[in-house]
Amino acid sequence: MARSASKAAAARRNGFLIAAASLLLLIWVFPLIWAVIVSLKSESEVLAYPPRVIFEPTFQNYSDALFGGVSILPSLVTSLIVSTSTTILTIIIAVPAAYAFARLRLRGKKWLGFYTLATQMVPPVGLVIPYFLILNKIGWLDTFQGMVTVYLTFSLPFAIWLLVSYMEDIPREMEEAAFLDKANRFQTLWHIILPQVRGGIAVTVIFIFLNAWNEFLFAVQLGGNTVRPVTVAMFNFVSVEQTLWAKLSAAALVAMLPMIIIGIAAQKQIVKGLTVGAVKGGGRL
Amino acid sequence: MTAKGHVSLHGIHKTFGTFEALKGIDLDIQPVEFFALLGPSGSGKTTTLRILAGLEAPDDGRIMIDGNDVTGTQPGERDVAMVFQNYALYPHMTLAANIGFPLKMDGVAKNKIPDLVRQAAARVKIDHLLHRRPGQLSGGQQQRCALARAIVRQPRLFLLDEPLSNLDAQLRLETRVELKKLQRSLDVTTVYVTHDQEEAMTIADRMAVFLDGDIVQVGTPDEVFNRPLSVHVAAFIGSPPMNLFAGQLEQGAVKVGDYEIKLPKSPDHAAGDVTVGVRPSHIRLSDHGLPARLYLSENLGESMLLNFLVDDQLVKVRLPEVRRFAENETTALSFEPEHIHLFDQKTGLRIGS
Amino acid sequence: MFATERNFALLMVAPGLLVLLLTTTFPLVFLLWNSFHTVNLAMPFLDGFAGLDNYARMMADSRFWHALQLTAIYTFSSVALQLFIGLGLALLVMQISAGQWLFRIVAILPIVLAPVVVGLFWRTIMLAPEFGIIDFIFRILGLGQVNWLGSPTPALISVIIIHTWQWTPFAFLVLLASLAALPPEVFEAAKIDKAGAFQRFRYITLPLIRPAVVIVVIMRSMIALSAFAAIFAATGGGPGTATEILNLYAYKTSFVELNFGYGSALAVSLLVITICVSGLLFRLRTAHRG
Ligand SMILES: Nc1ncnc2c1ncn2[C@@H]1O[C@H](COP(=O)(O)OP(=O)(O)OP(=O)(O)O)[C@@H](O)[C@H]1O
Ligand SMILES: [Mg+2]
Repeated sequence: MARSASKAAAARRNGFLIAAASLLLLIWVFPLIWAVIVSLKSESEVLAYPPRVIFEPTFQNYSDALFGGVSILPSLVTSLIVSTSTTILTIIIAVPAAYAFARLRLRGKKWLGFYTLATQMVPPVGLVIPYFLILNKIGWLDTFQGMVTVYLTFSLPFAIWLLVSYMEDIPREMEEAAFLDKANRFQTLWHIILPQVRGGIAVTVIFIFLNAWNEFLFAVQLGGNTVRPVTVAMFNFVSVEQTLWAKLSAAALVAMLPMIIIGIAAQKQIVKGLTVGAVKGGGRL
Repeated sequence: MTAKGHVSLHGIHKTFGTFEALKGIDLDIQPVEFFALLGPSGSGKTTTLRILAGLEAPDDGRIMIDGNDVTGTQPGERDVAMVFQNYALYPHMTLAANIGFPLKMDGVAKNKIPDLVRQAAARVKIDHLLHRRPGQLSGGQQQRCALARAIVRQPRLFLLDEPLSNLDAQLRLETRVELKKLQRSLDVTTVYVTHDQEEAMTIADRMAVFLDGDIVQVGTPDEVFNRPLSVHVAAFIGSPPMNLFAGQLEQGAVKVGDYEIKLPKSPDHAAGDVTVGVRPSHIRLSDHGLPARLYLSENLGESMLLNFLVDDQLVKVRLPEVRRFAENETTALSFEPEHIHLFDQKTGLRIGS
Repeated sequence: MFATERNFALLMVAPGLLVLLLTTTFPLVFLLWNSFHTVNLAMPFLDGFAGLDNYARMMADSRFWHALQLTAIYTFSSVALQLFIGLGLALLVMQISAGQWLFRIVAILPIVLAPVVVGLFWRTIMLAPEFGIIDFIFRILGLGQVNWLGSPTPALISVIIIHTWQWTPFAFLVLLASLAALPPEVFEAAKIDKAGAFQRFRYITLPLIRPAVVIVVIMRSMIALSAFAAIFAATGGGPGTATEILNLYAYKTSFVELNFGYGSALAVSLLVITICVSGLLFRLRTAHRG
């Protein structure tokens, strides 16, 4: 009797927990779901009051956003180019640096590591101001090389720092064994270290790509008509006199779809990356 | 000298920060010798091995291999192979790739590698596992893979750092024997680090005993066991190690308390305070000698280990048969003069032969 | 061998450090240089060395102090909210036996969205007067209409909510991961020692996850201090200057008023604040450790 009562209490408790948690869960998905609903409405349907849940869905907004007068398609391509170039360049520069920080003897390594970490904390607004003047002077405003250069400011310190924490996990003996096997340092990095941090590199790539794709401040101020990443192109649908909510929702969802897919597919890796940073972050270098 | 693999260390010093890990060691290892570095934890064995391999640079001293000074050379240039305590297998490669890696780095022709790998693997009986990765192997198989990787390119020197310590007791005994056979068949100089003296005694041709960053004795296992050169070695070697008593050396005899043992021939040493060492197996229970009270008896199956109290000192006695003893039984302990080891009480050095 | 190791190491870090030096340090030095000059793209004929003028102006600028105050409110409240909600939810979800993956998946969604998109979503379909869904919900609940982004206090609350909405999942996921990594034996032992739920949290869970908590606070504070896109998209700093945190003020001064000298000085002040806050937080972290 008593047992079944306590069982019922436990079930009630569990039910309450699930309800409370689900409510919060709903708060997080709701704006996205609502955006999906809005994106399937016609612009006039959007402005109906009270908002209707039952309506005739249309894909017009999507085709307008992609192929209409203010298509975001070129911007998607721009974002892809910028994000991919940033990612590749960052990895190429960051991997050797991270290896040196994680493993090699180097005078002043501690201070150099600290410097790398510190560069990551610079508020972007402190960079966008001088960059505007510098890029303006050298004619790199609204160019791909300019944008990628600026994106290195956030991607590179982050990548080095994340990769260091992955490389530090590889036992030192592994490398020493390779030295005795007559591998030189570069071969050791290539054959022994890199294959073992593939997971870490993947996480780093995901993070850099995500951050580059989602970046806005540099994009809006240092880009222009040639280089207009998709985060800036969103504003095509927002103006003072008239806001095209349905098209905006459709365009935003299209622009965010790659990120959402990456996020869900690589959920484990992203959390790992977040927590690697959280557990080891700072202090280590 | 035709055989290769002659190693010598001259005055090697190594400090880590302010800690002196090696205090100037000298060592001469003959070609084809199976040489053990034995010593308690932290005594500098691994450091010595790593200096031999070139993974650590000595602060002072020279390393010679086959007459060449290799002190400043890279590990890869020394033609030595090493088996690490945790094996250090490359987890992302198959066994075949692991074993073949040194060949690949050495520039061996690609088409020759598979055969050499198979031969090396066959020697340690893992040729049926070549397609697996290290993670899919047992500890013993991993250990063999590490061995195969070491022997595949026929180095002139093998360095093994406690290669058996991660195996269970049974496997350790078996592998010990195989290792010795393997070394014999390969005829390659081997330096073997262990803190297990039984292992060193059974496997090594000669050994060096390390204590606190110094080599305190070099010799065959027999020599080290039967003629420990200092009281420190005496206190380390043997399980359990020998009992040490404070005694007095007099004309033709040595006295421990009131117990006097006549010496067949007087050692060449002034009379005075000495330390008297006797192995547990060399002590007899008899009606004369040191009065002792039984404190604890351990039954080891075929023999017994008895712990006696002589005054306040614990004395271990190994009895070749199993008997019953009464608690607190009193008896006397005696030993033969030829089984006595004498050490100078001040210097700790051995007296006489 | 170690001489060559040093050379090799230098070769490996040199490109990275060089790039960092060129792409981050040099612009920052230039920023500092600008802050001591008059740099006005609208009136280039006035350009020249200005000494501490920009900083003197800043000290006397009530809009600066207002922005500073908003930055403090914005950072403190959004980080506190993220931490408390994130920790609470993590503790809650830890007790749910099945379906944790669903929470992890949902929580990743806001994190991967571009802040500017989040800002736009909230500005339009969520919070817009008349047609926004929140407004609708308030009306049917009889709470009346609130001009969320159009009047000062609600606007500030809104941008804090938007930031909290997007980044609480970060705190949640990190804390959930560190909770999941705790050895269950500890809690079982505590249960045997008759510790109640609150005592278990206070004396066991909290000390064990303290490093993660501190890191969450550090990382989120840094991000909150330099938050830009979501506010820019949702309110643009308005109405008036109601949501104009220091970040936005520096931006607007530079790119709207084209006064790059003063904008630089404002950005330098933000940089100094960021350094101080991070230094303080890092000290906190090591203090607890030692
Ligand atoms: N890289 C290092 N930095 C600082 N101290 C070190 C380092 N390597 C070794 N030591 C110290 O040097 C001493 C000798 O170490 P070593 O590894 O040679 O001991 P060992 O005889 O192999 O011991 P064990 O049987 O425990 O492996 C130890 O006290 C150790 O703490
Ligand atoms: Mg060792």
